[in-house]
Amino acid sequence: MSGEFLLTKPDYSTHVLSCVEPEYKEYIPVMQLRRMSKIVRRGVVAAKTAMQNAGIEKPDALSIGTAYGCLQDTESFLGKMIEQEEQMLTPTAFIQSTHNTVGGQIALLAGCNGHNLTYVHRGHSFEHAMINAALYLGEHPGENILVGGIDELTENSIKALQIAGLITKEHLATDDVINGSNDATVGGEGAAFFSVTQQPLSGRYIRIRALDIFKEYDEAAALQKVKRFADNHKDIEIDLFLSGRNGDKKYLQFYNSVRTEIYPLVADAQFKFCCGEYPVAGSFALAMLFECLEQKGCVPEFMELAHPTGEIKNVVLVNNFGSYYSCWLLELAV
Amino acid sequence: MRSLLQGKSGVGKAEYLKTHWQDELPVAEIKKSNEELAAMTGADAKWPRTALLSAIAVQEALATHKDSIQNLRTGFFSANTVGGMDLTEQVYKDFINDTIEPEFSNIVNHECGAVTELVAKHFGLNDFNTTISTACSSSANSIMMAAQMINNGMLDVAIAGGADSMSKFTLNGFNTLQILDKEPCQPFDNNRRGLNLGEGAGYVLLMSEKAMQQCGATAICVVSGYANANDAYHQTASSPDGIGNKMAMSHALKKAGLQPKDIDYINLHGTGTANNDSSEGKAVEAIFEGCIPKASSTKGFTGHTLGAAGGVEAVFSTLSIRDGVVFPNLRWATQMEDINWQVVTELQTGQDIRNVLSNSFGFGGNCSSLIFSKC
Repeated sequence: MSGEFLLTKPDYSTHVLSCVEPEYKEYIPVMQLRRMSKIVRRGVVAAKTAMQNAGIEKPDALSIGTAYGCLQDTESFLGKMIEQEEQMLTPTAFIQSTHNTVGGQIALLAGCNGHNLTYVHRGHSFEHAMINAALYLGEHPGENILVGGIDELTENSIKALQIAGLITKEHLATDDVINGSNDATVGGEGAAFFSVTQQPLSGRYIRIRALDIFKEYDEAAALQKVKRFADNHKDIEIDLFLSGRNGDKKYLQFYNSVRTEIYPLVADAQFKFCCGEYPVAGSFALAMLFECLEQKGCVPEFMELAHPTGEIKNVVLVNNFGSYYSCWLLELAV
Repeated sequence: MRSLLQGKSGVGKAEYLKTHWQDELPVAEIKKSNEELAAMTGADAKWPRTALLSAIAVQEALATHKDSIQNLRTGFFSANTVGGMDLTEQVYKDFINDTIEPEFSNIVNHECGAVTELVAKHFGLNDFNTTISTACSSSANSIMMAAQMINNGMLDVAIAGGADSMSKFTLNGFNTLQILDKEPCQPFDNNRRGLNLGEGAGYVLLMSEKAMQQCGATAICVVSGYANANDAYHQTASSPDGIGNKMAMSHALKKAGLQPKDIDYINLHGTGTANNDSSEGKAVEAIFEGCIPKASSTKGFTGHTLGAAGGVEAVFSTLSIRDGVVFPNLRWATQMEDINWQVVTELQTGQDIRNVLSNSFGFGGNCSSLIFSKC
């Protein structure tokens, strides 16, 4: 992340929040850039930025999560295949349509011969990539693994997600997403990468103390599972409850209950109004917490809904993408 | 298994895949309609074909243990590359032209993860499900992760492998790369012309020792070694010397604590393309210098089943250990010029196969090797 992003409260009325595109030429040779679709460029730049911030030239391994994969290239090849009735097709879009394209490109550009996996398990894609990172580091202590979450929106995927009731058909304003009770929410997309190690590489880092994921259709049952997560870690004093609430009325009661029944007295912030809803939005939340580290452990004022506090150390992040839930216990080390 | 023993190949003319290339490009298709496939497991014929194939193989993998694993933490690790593309490609035109509403059911399971979840739900597998998609090495990686999670005590049981069905999208994609053989493929032959696409599904049932005791199960073999490396050479092609291939094989050997001479059989990736077989052949030569084990590609039987290949070939590797057989590399005729060793071309039975190495390499430079060792 860079520039003005997250310095001020976003102000919009929209149905989707698209990525803020950096100046890609500064990161990728123009010849290679020309062939790259949006998701590949974003993934490569996010990966390079994470490596730069961690002071790593070449990661030892890669682990990536993406629910939808490379939609733009998939649609490009699919559209032409149908339109041209399987004739005169060219390979570029097909080559770049595979779900592991970004992982392959990062490996290629960084010269990384290590372990390289891509998880495509819907709303848990990023979390599974992180679990894989833990498994990898368990077997390769002392190494570093680059972990990322990437997903892109296309005109047609927005349409499909609107039919599925996930993305709003009407425009929503920022405060509708923060406080509203709507039939759906704003769609989102993004790329976020992290250099993950067992031992911290520098002074500022986020320690993942626990990660619990579960799939649940029933909100009351989901609440019970979050309670169990909280109980398992009740000896740790929580400074911030960061929630994935998104103004969709289907999950309002769940987040309200987590707040009032589990974390009633801690600071309460949310992030989806900054990035929109997408399957690997948990990676955005983690990236946002790194911004907080930059600001010496404080959450930007506009993100705190209640009980604002000064410095934060221990954070509980509860997120969901439909029936895919995740609970993270994170420690910010400034 | 019968086909493997009789040397009977599944490669032929596409009957169920409707494509412009029906007469020109042979494929290894499962000769059953979606309705017939669905009936085999009580699944819904409207599922993506990949999910229908997956369900059949999962049912076989679970076999007699379906009930005994009920109280154990069971993971379902399924890989695929095509997701619900077989259905999406039928309605995509209508969808983008705004006539989708009545056919939305055809794209609702487009995602790769949706395929895994349909099958997981069908068999009541709720503890941990994941989907990996690393092109042609996908399902080898799901077996690797399953083994790791069991070793770490995170799960007791895992069904691990993958599935992929034929689709016009994949067939046309590979066709643009000009690596499809217009004849039945000839892996590791000097005059090989390319690969045939195939479809299928393959899963292995993995258990911790504790789970085996509880289920009264006996093991055929263990996943003793695994490794995943990246060639970092080209998005679709392998490096000439197979850097990633060598790393995957040598790291897997190291993980298993085995020497090259301990491997009795290599189930090669052996797609039949000029590039793969040359790189893989040289990599095998480098790693197994002076002690090249029996080796064959089974893609002459199955075609290249992409995301299913690692799972299907893990099953073949297991059968090789269980029955002491080495499957023949079909249609081999001429020795490759750039390697100094030869594949097994006739079925070998009565062998003592203790350690099998299975290779799966793919787009994006992904290279994975698994080692299965007799118990």
